[in-house]
Amino acid sequence: MISILLGAMISMAASSDTVVTLEDVTVSASKSVEPQMRSSQTSVHVDQEYLQLNFSGSLMQTMEGIPGVKAISIGSGQSKPTIRGLGYNRMVVSENGIKHEGQQWGDDHGLEIDQFSVDRAEVIKGPSALLYGSDAIGGVLLLRSNQMPKDSLEGSVQLFGRTNNGQIGAAAKIGGRGERWYCRANVTWIDYADYKVPTDSIQYYSYWIRLKDGRLRNTAGCERNGSFLLGYSGRKVRTSLRLSDSYAKSGFFANAHGLEVRLSNIDYDHSRRDVDLPYQWVNHFKAHSHTSWYCGRTSMEVNVAYQNNFREELSEPVSHGYMPKPDNSLERRFNKSTYTYNYQARYHLGKHAFHGGLDGEYQYNRRGGWGFIIPDFETNSLGMFLLDRFKFRKNLIFNAGARLDFAKTHIHGYQDWYPTPVGSEMVCLERSTDLTRKFHNLSWSFGANYNVGNWVFKANAGSGFRMPIPKELGANGINYHIFRYERGNVQLDPEKSYQLDLGLSWSNDALVVQVDPYLNYFSNYIYLSPTSRYVEGLQLYNYTQARVLRLGWEAQMIYTFAKHWEALLQGEYLHARQKSGEKKGYTLPFTPPWSMDAGLTYKYNWKGDGFVGLKAHVVGRQDEIVPPEKPTDGYWTLNFSAGKSFPLRRSKLNVSLHADNLLNRRYYNHTSYYRLIDVPEPGRNLSMKVGLDF
Amino acid sequence: MKHYLAITMLLCVLGACGGDDEASKDMSYPVISDEGIEAVPSDCYILKRGEVMPFHYVFTDDTELGSFNIEIHNNFDHHTHGTSSVECPMEEEKAAVNAWVFNQDYEIPSGLRTYDAQIEIPIPDDVDPGDYHFMIRLTDHVGWQQLRAMAVKIQ
Repeated sequence: MISILLGAMISMAASSDTVVTLEDVTVSASKSVEPQMRSSQTSVHVDQEYLQLNFSGSLMQTMEGIPGVKAISIGSGQSKPTIRGLGYNRMVVSENGIKHEGQQWGDDHGLEIDQFSVDRAEVIKGPSALLYGSDAIGGVLLLRSNQMPKDSLEGSVQLFGRTNNGQIGAAAKIGGRGERWYCRANVTWIDYADYKVPTDSIQYYSYWIRLKDGRLRNTAGCERNGSFLLGYSGRKVRTSLRLSDSYAKSGFFANAHGLEVRLSNIDYDHSRRDVDLPYQWVNHFKAHSHTSWYCGRTSMEVNVAYQNNFREELSEPVSHGYMPKPDNSLERRFNKSTYTYNYQARYHLGKHAFHGGLDGEYQYNRRGGWGFIIPDFETNSLGMFLLDRFKFRKNLIFNAGARLDFAKTHIHGYQDWYPTPVGSEMVCLERSTDLTRKFHNLSWSFGANYNVGNWVFKANAGSGFRMPIPKELGANGINYHIFRYERGNVQLDPEKSYQLDLGLSWSNDALVVQVDPYLNYFSNYIYLSPTSRYVEGLQLYNYTQARVLRLGWEAQMIYTFAKHWEALLQGEYLHARQKSGEKKGYTLPFTPPWSMDAGLTYKYNWKGDGFVGLKAHVVGRQDEIVPPEKPTDGYWTLNFSAGKSFPLRRSKLNVSLHADNLLNRRYYNHTSYYRLIDVPEPGRNLSMKVGLDF
Repeated sequence: MKHYLAITMLLCVLGACGGDDEASKDMSYPVISDEGIEAVPSDCYILKRGEVMPFHYVFTDDTELGSFNIEIHNNFDHHTHGTSSVECPMEEEKAAVNAWVFNQDYEIPSGLRTYDAQIEIPIPDDVDPGDYHFMIRLTDHVGWQQLRAMAVKIQ
C-alpha cells in the first residue's frame, strides 16, 4: 500500500493534477496542465506500468494508495472497492465502457473481473450519473482491458505469490496485430490457502471462537480467468468483440458464515489449502461488442454486451427456527443476466464539444436454494444524456449536462418452503411481495476548470442517484446469516445525492500540492437500521431513508528533492451526519475514520528503472458510530515496497516486492464487514511478482 | 508560503465541522443487571422439568429501554458463549431428541429507564435433560443491543 501511495504521489508530482498519471514518474512536475484541464471532476489514472511495478496482491489493494479509495477485504483473497466511503450499489465498476453487473449489493462478493487483464484504470470521485446512470453516486472505477497490441506478436508472463495466505498465481497474455486485424488472449490462475490474522481467538455475538495458528479456517480458494479479444481497426471504423469468463471459488470463514456462528464436525484444521463447506463459487461470463466511427467532426460509438453472473453458496444444512433441516447443501443461488446497450455521439462545433447518448439495461435475476435473501426480479432501464464542454479560453473551460432516466422493476413474490405457526395455523410466510415499481430521475452536472500560473482550480456541482434494490423494497424475514430480522420498505424512492466538488492544486518542478474538498447531501440515503423491537426472536432492522450530509477532503503533497528522492504526505477525512429520521444526529454505518500516509521513495535508474519506498499509514480512531457498530481504535502500519525493471534485448523483466504490515500489528478496519465479527485485518504479508514482457 | 497557509486554513475549516448535534445522541448500551436482587437464572443454574422458573433481572438504560427477548437452546454439542467467565461442569456430548426451544419477545412499557423483569417460565416435563444455554437480549430505544448468555442445566 505504501508503495502505491508513493508511486501515486510521485506520479502526481509528475502531472501536477487531480488527474494523476502514474506513468511519468521521472518527468518534471509543471510540464503539463492539460490533463488537469480535462475534467472538472477529480479523477486518478493508473496505467499498466504502475500496476506492474506496484503490485500488492490484488488490483484493489494496488489501487488503495489513491486518496479516497479503499478496499474492503471480504476475507479470502478478494476485496470490494469503495470511493469516499461509498461502495456496493453506490459506485459503478465499468469494464471497457460497460457497467459490470454482479451481485454488488452482497458483502461476500468481490470484483469478479480478471485483474491481470487490466491494462489501465481510472477512478472518478464524485457523482457521475451523466455518463454512468444509476449507482454512480460515490464515483466510478473504470477498467480497461481491451488495449490493442502494438506488435505482430507480443505478450507477457507473470508469476506472483503472497505469504499471508500462501497465494500462488500465474497470468499470461499473448496477442498480435496485422495491418487491420488484431487479437489478444489472457489467462490467469490463482490458488490460495487460509489467511492469517494476528490473534488466537475471535469473539462474536457472545460466542467465543479459538483459531488454530491464527488462521481463519476455510478461507482458502482459487480463481481461473480467461478472455479473448478480436478486433478490426480501420481508418474510420473500429470494431472489436471480447469474450471473458471469470471463475472463483472460495471458502467462508468456517466459524462464522456471514455473521452467523457455525458449529461443525468437519475437520477444518487438517489442511490450509482445501475448501470445505461453507463455500461459494461464482462464474461471470461477458460478451461485449464495441464499434466506433470517426467522420469529420463527429464520432460515434456503439456498445452491446451480455453478462451472466452465476453464484452458488453452499453450506451444511441445519434446521433454523421453524425451518426443518434441508436435504442438500445449496443455501443460495443467484443467476443474473444483464443485457446492456449504449450509443454515444460526439460533435465539435467551434469552442463547443457536445457529447450525447442513449443507453439501456435489462436485468433478469433468478434465485435458488433453501436460504432466501433477494427475490426474483426483472429490471428494465433507459437513460439519455447530453453534455457540452465549452472552451471559453484556453485556460478557462466550462461544462454542463443533464440526463434523464427511466426504470421499471418487477419483483416476484416469495413464500417460505416450510410452514411457520401463526396463531393456531401453519402458514408458509410471505417473505417478498409481488410488486412492480416505476422510477424516473433527472440528473445534472456543471463545472469549470481554471488555470493561472502554477494554480489549477476546479469546481463541479452534480447529482447522482440509484434505484432501490429488491432487497431494500421487498425484504421481510429472518436473515439467519446475520442474526437479525430484516424488513424492506415498498415506498422507497430513488436515492438522490447532490455534491459540490472543489479541486485546488499548485505545482512546480519540485512540489505538488493538491486539496480536493467536497460537500455531499443525500435527500434520502437508504440503509438498514436497527430498531428497539424483536420479531420472531431477533432484533428488527428496517430499511429506512434519511437526509444525510457528508463532507470531506483529500489532500496530498509531493516533494521531489536531491534528484532521486520523493517525499509524500497525504490524508483524507470524511464526516457524515444523518439529518432526519430515527437516527438523526448519528453518522452513517461504515464511515471511514481519518487517515494519513507519509512516505519516502528513492528512485534510480541503473540498468532500468527502479524504486525503493517506505511508507507509514496512520488511521485515526473512529468514535463516530451508529448502532450496532463499535468504536474502532486507531492504528498505524509500516509498509515497504520496491520495484525494478530489467531491459533484456527485446523484452523486459519486471520485479516487484511489497511488504504490508511489517510490524505485524493487530488492528481492525472500521469499514470492513468482518469488523462486526471482531476479525482483525491480516497480519504481516509479503507479496512478490515477477513478470516478463515480450 | 501564503498558499500553504490558505490550504491549512481550509483544511481546518473543513475538519471543524464535526462538532454539531453531538449532545442528543445515545451512545451507550442498555444494561442487564442483577444489582440489588437475587437474579434468576444465574450461571450453572439448575432447572427442573415440570417446574416453573421464576426469571428475575433488572434492566437499565441511561435514556430509554426498548424491549427484550429470552431464548433457551441446548448445548449438547458443547459450543461456548463468551459473555460469562464461569465454567460449569458439563455432561457428555450427545444428540438432541426432543431438545427444548424457548424463544419469546417481550415489550417494555415506553419511557422507562429501569425495568424490573419478572417472568414465570414453565419448563415442559418431556424435554431432553442436559446442558442448555440461557440467553437474554435487551435493546434500548435507538437499537443498541446487550446480550447475556449463561450455561444452565435441565434435570
